[in-house]
Amino acid sequence: MRNLRRQGVVALGLAGLLVGTAACGGDSGTNDDGASGSDEGGGDTLVFGASADPVSLDPAYVSDGESLRAARQIYETLVTTEAGGTDIVEGLATKWEADEAGTAWTFTLRDGVTFHDGTEFDAEAVCFNFDRWYNFEGVQQSPSVSYYWQTVFTGFANNEDPEQGESLYASCEATDATTAVINLTGPSASFLPGLALAAFSIASPTALEEFGADEVTGTGEEPRFDGAYGLEEAVGTGPYTLESFEPGNRLVMTAYEDYWGDAPAIETIIFRPIADGPARRQALEAGEIQGYDLVDPADYEALEGAGYQLLSRPAFNVGYVGINTAKPPLDNPQIRQAIAHALNREALVQAQYPEGSEVATQFMPPELFGHADDVTEYEYDVEKAKALIAESGVANPTIEFWYPTGVSRPYMPNPEANFQAFQADLEAAGFTVTPQSAPWNPDYLDAVNTGAAGLYLLGWTGDFGDPDNFIGTFFRTDQPSWGTIPQEIQDQLEAGRTETDEAARTALYEDANRAIMEQLPGVPYVHTSPRLVFAENVVGYEPSPVSIEDFARVSFSD
Amino acid sequence: MSLSGAEAQETVLTQSEEARGGLVRDAFRRLRRSPQAIVGATLVLLFVLVAVFAPLLAPYSPTAQDLSQVRPGQFPGPSAEHLLGLDQLGRDELSRIIYGARYSLIIGVVSVTIGATVGMALGLLAGAFGGWVDGLVMRAADIMLAVPSLLLAIGIAALLGRSITSVMIAIGVVNIPVFARLLRGAMLSQRESDYALASRSLGVTKGRVVLKHVFPNSLAPVIVQATLALATAITEAAGLAFLGLGSPDPSIPEWGRMLAETNAYLASEPLLALWPGLAIVISVLGFYLLGEALREALDPKLRR
Repeated sequence: MRNLRRQGVVALGLAGLLVGTAACGGDSGTNDDGASGSDEGGGDTLVFGASADPVSLDPAYVSDGESLRAARQIYETLVTTEAGGTDIVEGLATKWEADEAGTAWTFTLRDGVTFHDGTEFDAEAVCFNFDRWYNFEGVQQSPSVSYYWQTVFTGFANNEDPEQGESLYASCEATDATTAVINLTGPSASFLPGLALAAFSIASPTALEEFGADEVTGTGEEPRFDGAYGLEEAVGTGPYTLESFEPGNRLVMTAYEDYWGDAPAIETIIFRPIADGPARRQALEAGEIQGYDLVDPADYEALEGAGYQLLSRPAFNVGYVGINTAKPPLDNPQIRQAIAHALNREALVQAQYPEGSEVATQFMPPELFGHADDVTEYEYDVEKAKALIAESGVANPTIEFWYPTGVSRPYMPNPEANFQAFQADLEAAGFTVTPQSAPWNPDYLDAVNTGAAGLYLLGWTGDFGDPDNFIGTFFRTDQPSWGTIPQEIQDQLEAGRTETDEAARTALYEDANRAIMEQLPGVPYVHTSPRLVFAENVVGYEPSPVSIEDFARVSFSD
Repeated sequence: MSLSGAEAQETVLTQSEEARGGLVRDAFRRLRRSPQAIVGATLVLLFVLVAVFAPLLAPYSPTAQDLSQVRPGQFPGPSAEHLLGLDQLGRDELSRIIYGARYSLIIGVVSVTIGATVGMALGLLAGAFGGWVDGLVMRAADIMLAVPSLLLAIGIAALLGRSITSVMIAIGVVNIPVFARLLRGAMLSQRESDYALASRSLGVTKGRVVLKHVFPNSLAPVIVQATLALATAITEAAGLAFLGLGSPDPSIPEWGRMLAETNAYLASEPLLALWPGLAIVISVLGFYLLGEALREALDPKLRR
């Protein structure tokens, strides 16, 4: 078996070399001004190594990075973020303003924009999309299917789960072709930054209807998209149109001729799914792909030495040791503090994380407003940990400590290494650690989300630049993974979500961060900046903290 | 001049005892002359000694970490203090390899014991009784042998949950049909041999013939198989650990797991994959060489 695989890699490598050579030949005529990318021979193609196929090309149904990456190229959102940052800038809307109450938002739309199928982009289309999401039913309402709608807008027109909260969205009016008014049921500070999420991409109403975008069957865990939309069809206003999508093989996108903005420099973008990290690196070195995401920190030096460019994405994540505060002995605050003091976070971050990674003091990155500089910090101190255990009255504390297998996340490139480092730290402080592991999806996430795991390794990457997307997502509502979160923290976070005054929000979130670190429902330990790698001649790729990254600005240098 | 029944029985017995003693002596003599056997035995002895005296031999604790020594993808290589360098958590690689021998030896010995004991009991039943017992046992063995051994072991280990015990049981179970068939086959041919027929014709009970004559004389191939099975067991244990089916405690210095862990660093630190790989190869090679030499030495056809 192992032999076969090796032969396969060699064969792939050879094929890659051939393809690479051919591509180089075609590239030699590229215009370097990047204005009109298509050159003779059609060799103007960038192949990007994705870690998986998109789940669907209908962004309303997805929440995974690979699906969103593809959606970013084909679709556009009303607002977006500045390149490389989290500030909101114009997208399909050029102007927006809220009324005094913060419930009626008027968007002035860009003129002269057409969908890939030739239909007009206008206020009607915007309202059509919002009403479609709002009226999701059945499987569409499952949290895994319409994750981001539920994150930002909470509920639907007809909530099928009685526990589901009331929808933030009320209605949408197209007052004229370029003016859409979105009415909310209450003020929300995360509404506008939330609209930059690829999940709120505006798709062609004609195509959505024609290709059965709403035909979803199956179950929440395993939804089946029966319509052609999302697999064979995907129609937005973005710089690239869907050429073909063969799951397991490739997703091909070509430049959209009638794009309203600057035409993309590269004619064809191909996303090739390569699940295995080392295989992605081999594909890059073989010239088969020109770039990939989430480079293993262990490969940084070698790749840089070989002349590849490593691009760093600003740290917008947190890795933490989660604690189920309802599970003895973790319900004891002194035991939790002992754990925090026992973990040598500095040593782990230095040994396992790339340069530029920071030791976390709280559950959100310092770049975000609401980050408090004066939270309770738990410095590495084994003696103090031992003293706290003695004070707690728990004799010989035993902890089930969980880690996932078969996964690598930006905030956790090697979960097993993190686990072993922390396991040794905890044992040094006098804890007895029972190791527990499970494959990441679904077993591990299930164990954590149902509250079965006591101590566990997890983390989070922010979707948009708002504290509600970090600590709000974690602690605003009861979640079994954290055990019991005091009501006053939940109230503070709810207040932060609806408050519209920036200064007041900042204060609320700073207070919440202090309270959370006092309560200690987990030990945040790292904010890391993941990296992408590109071939030497690829220019213009701008990494974004929230992964809003546009291939239309990428070109080849000579 | 006629021998009484009892005297005749004595004579036959003595001859078969002598034959066995002779076979063992011969086998030893041939083993001593075979370079293959000597190399194999040396490697096995080395492996066992390292496993038994691991705490004395290992310069450091296999789990003591020194994170300050490592950076992502860069671990100090071999040096005077750490002969095989440090791993991704700053642990002494040599100490881990040495302690790893313990796990391999324990898993190997226990699993082969499980497989051989249960397999031989079943083989004895089938070989002694024949008929429907034989049919039942052998069909069950055929079914198990139809499934590739590693696949069967993965299935059993996955079913039992992640632990070293389940790995030992899984590998043991995989070995059961092998030993059962082997013993039964050897017994069948011994049962029809002249000395067995002679004993039977002299009135020795069937049970006594089977237990005292047929069974001991059928053991040679089983001994060979047990040695070879140890080699396979070490590879299979490493394979299961590589696939993530070993102990859930990742700090245990198990060779297969160490190999799996270094997979991510193969490009930057290839030596880290070499050491556990080499340890597996050397120990497996030892048991193979010894097993093959035993097979030749115990083969009555090669007796001069």
